[in-house]
Amino acid sequence: MNSIFFRFSTLLLLAALSLGMSACAPEEQSSGATDREGPFKVITTTGMVADLVRAVGGEHFEVRSLLGEGTDPHEYSPTRRDVVALQEADLIFYNGLMLEGKMTDILVRMARRGQPVYAATEFVEEREDYLLMDEDDDDYFDPHVWMDVQGWILALDVVRDALTEFLPAEEATFRQNADAFRAELEELDHYSREAIASIPEERRVLVTAHDAFQYMSRAYDIEVRGIQGISTETEAGVRDIEDVVRFVTERNIPAIFVETSVSDRNVRAVIEGARAKGHEIQIGGELFSDAMGPEGTYEGTYIGMIDHNVTTIVRSLGGEAPERGMQGRLGGE
Amino acid sequence: MTWYTMDTWIVVVGALAGIACAIPGCFLVLRQMSMMGDAISHAVLPGLALAFLITGSRASVTMFIGAALIGLLTAVFTQWISSWGKVERGASMGIVFTTLFAVGLLLIVQAAHHVELDPGCVLYGALELTPLDTVTPLFWLGLGWETPRAFVVLGIITLVNLALLLLFYKEFKISSFDPNLATTLGINAQKMHYLLMSMVAVTTVAAFEAVGSILVIALLIVPAATAYLLTDRLSTMLLLGGGFGVLAAAMGHFLAVWLPEVHGLPDVSSAGLVAVTSGIFFAAAVLLAPRYGMLGKFLNRRPLKKHKAATPLSPEKT
Repeated sequence: MNSIFFRFSTLLLLAALSLGMSACAPEEQSSGATDREGPFKVITTTGMVADLVRAVGGEHFEVRSLLGEGTDPHEYSPTRRDVVALQEADLIFYNGLMLEGKMTDILVRMARRGQPVYAATEFVEEREDYLLMDEDDDDYFDPHVWMDVQGWILALDVVRDALTEFLPAEEATFRQNADAFRAELEELDHYSREAIASIPEERRVLVTAHDAFQYMSRAYDIEVRGIQGISTETEAGVRDIEDVVRFVTERNIPAIFVETSVSDRNVRAVIEGARAKGHEIQIGGELFSDAMGPEGTYEGTYIGMIDHNVTTIVRSLGGEAPERGMQGRLGGE
Repeated sequence: MTWYTMDTWIVVVGALAGIACAIPGCFLVLRQMSMMGDAISHAVLPGLALAFLITGSRASVTMFIGAALIGLLTAVFTQWISSWGKVERGASMGIVFTTLFAVGLLLIVQAAHHVELDPGCVLYGALELTPLDTVTPLFWLGLGWETPRAFVVLGIITLVNLALLLLFYKEFKISSFDPNLATTLGINAQKMHYLLMSMVAVTTVAAFEAVGSILVIALLIVPAATAYLLTDRLSTMLLLGGGFGVLAAAMGHFLAVWLPEVHGLPDVSSAGLVAVTSGIFFAAAVLLAPRYGMLGKFLNRRPLKKHKAATPLSPEKT
């Protein structure tokens, strides 16, 4: 009796093993693009990174970002279609600094095996001083670098170098594109600085759902306060909410902000709490923190996203900014 | 419909998890302690957190050891509470695993505040991601053969479980059905219990990194319970349990690939559909099993009634 059972289970195991073996026929590795014609497939995690690649790569690359509008990268989990896309991609870009949560590990491992995977925040290896630490934990950096336009200009160089490495023949084009986009970003940076400086100093405080705006704070001199920590995975406790309520009441802050990719529950709790203390506070608007706006709109681009954020913040806190933003393109063409 | 290499890998990893889980799973079902897998897979959270706190790294090996040790502790505590606290085993499991899970959450929030030690990840797993996370297990032989890490881990666990089963088949069998008889035959039933619990702990921990603890529980219990309805022989039950695990993995992932393309649904989770598929197998067994299924009982009952009616004076014959 036992021997049939023995044989059967061995058979089952062998079948499983051979299935595995046959499945691992060598796959073609995509490294370098010498003998193939474009456009090459680029997969990025966030839309902000995709925007950089589009701006630099132009027609040579077909760019897709895995995280769509309103998706929270901290909690994102890839679907099968995403995995297929990652495996078929010629180049992969991600934000890095643990923004992508569990996926970061896998992307780092892919990079170590020699696949062309790049972190847009790679520049920190030479610019360690640029990085901000996670306030509660010294081992982790704050990944929300794109909130400071100057930081994203550094990422632009990373993208340009990576694309040049992949397609050296087009070096001149990439440099030209990158310079053109850098000029646009400098303009955006200038607009943000001017607009935020117009907020009266005592009211220049940005209260948001999670701690995504530290880089913006440092770059444009605006105090920030997140209800949740840097990652949206840790829930805000009752004490966090009470702290923020006390803070906005004491400082007489007129508006706090919700984020498109984070639940507004905590923000509403703060508003209720402030109201109970007799301090009337508004929702200043929706900010794009970890994800951009809908694809195809102005807010669905990096420049539009920052323009929207800055304009919304400045106008709700009593500063001066044109209603439709830097280029008059906010809220539809 | 397009079937990629990665899809084959996902099925293989799921099938290995199915076989590895079915072996301890069948004994859990027979011993009426099916929720032990659930208890262990939740209770290992403090193990993961402690391993991280002590070593400061998220290396899989230390995490694995921490989790497996706490998993075993769960079994020990459960035994103590039910024998000293005079409560039934289910209740003591409930006490132990909720307490340990809560301690784990506290540890994560308190000490490792921003660590990406994501409880959600532990609970749901990421079967889809397993093909991306590869290793070259035979590098020491000079072979560059790349396989998903989950395949190597689950392959080893499956082999170990099979080896233990074949080595201690008789002991497992007797101590599961009749611990007292086992003791008189010189088999240490207590030891067998803890060996089984170690298997459950190690298998659960190894499998849930790949497939998530909800699917682990499904694979541990549902195929075994399905097999339980279909046979009275332990060896057949083990084979059927493993077979249903493999089938569920293959069909579940096939559905996950096929459904979105046919019905235009958004992407669905493979792990979820594997669990659903094994549930469907169980439902089919409940309805159709020859002896214990509803249909079988219905068919068996009728001739019996006739027989009874025909010989009312000799009930002992029935």
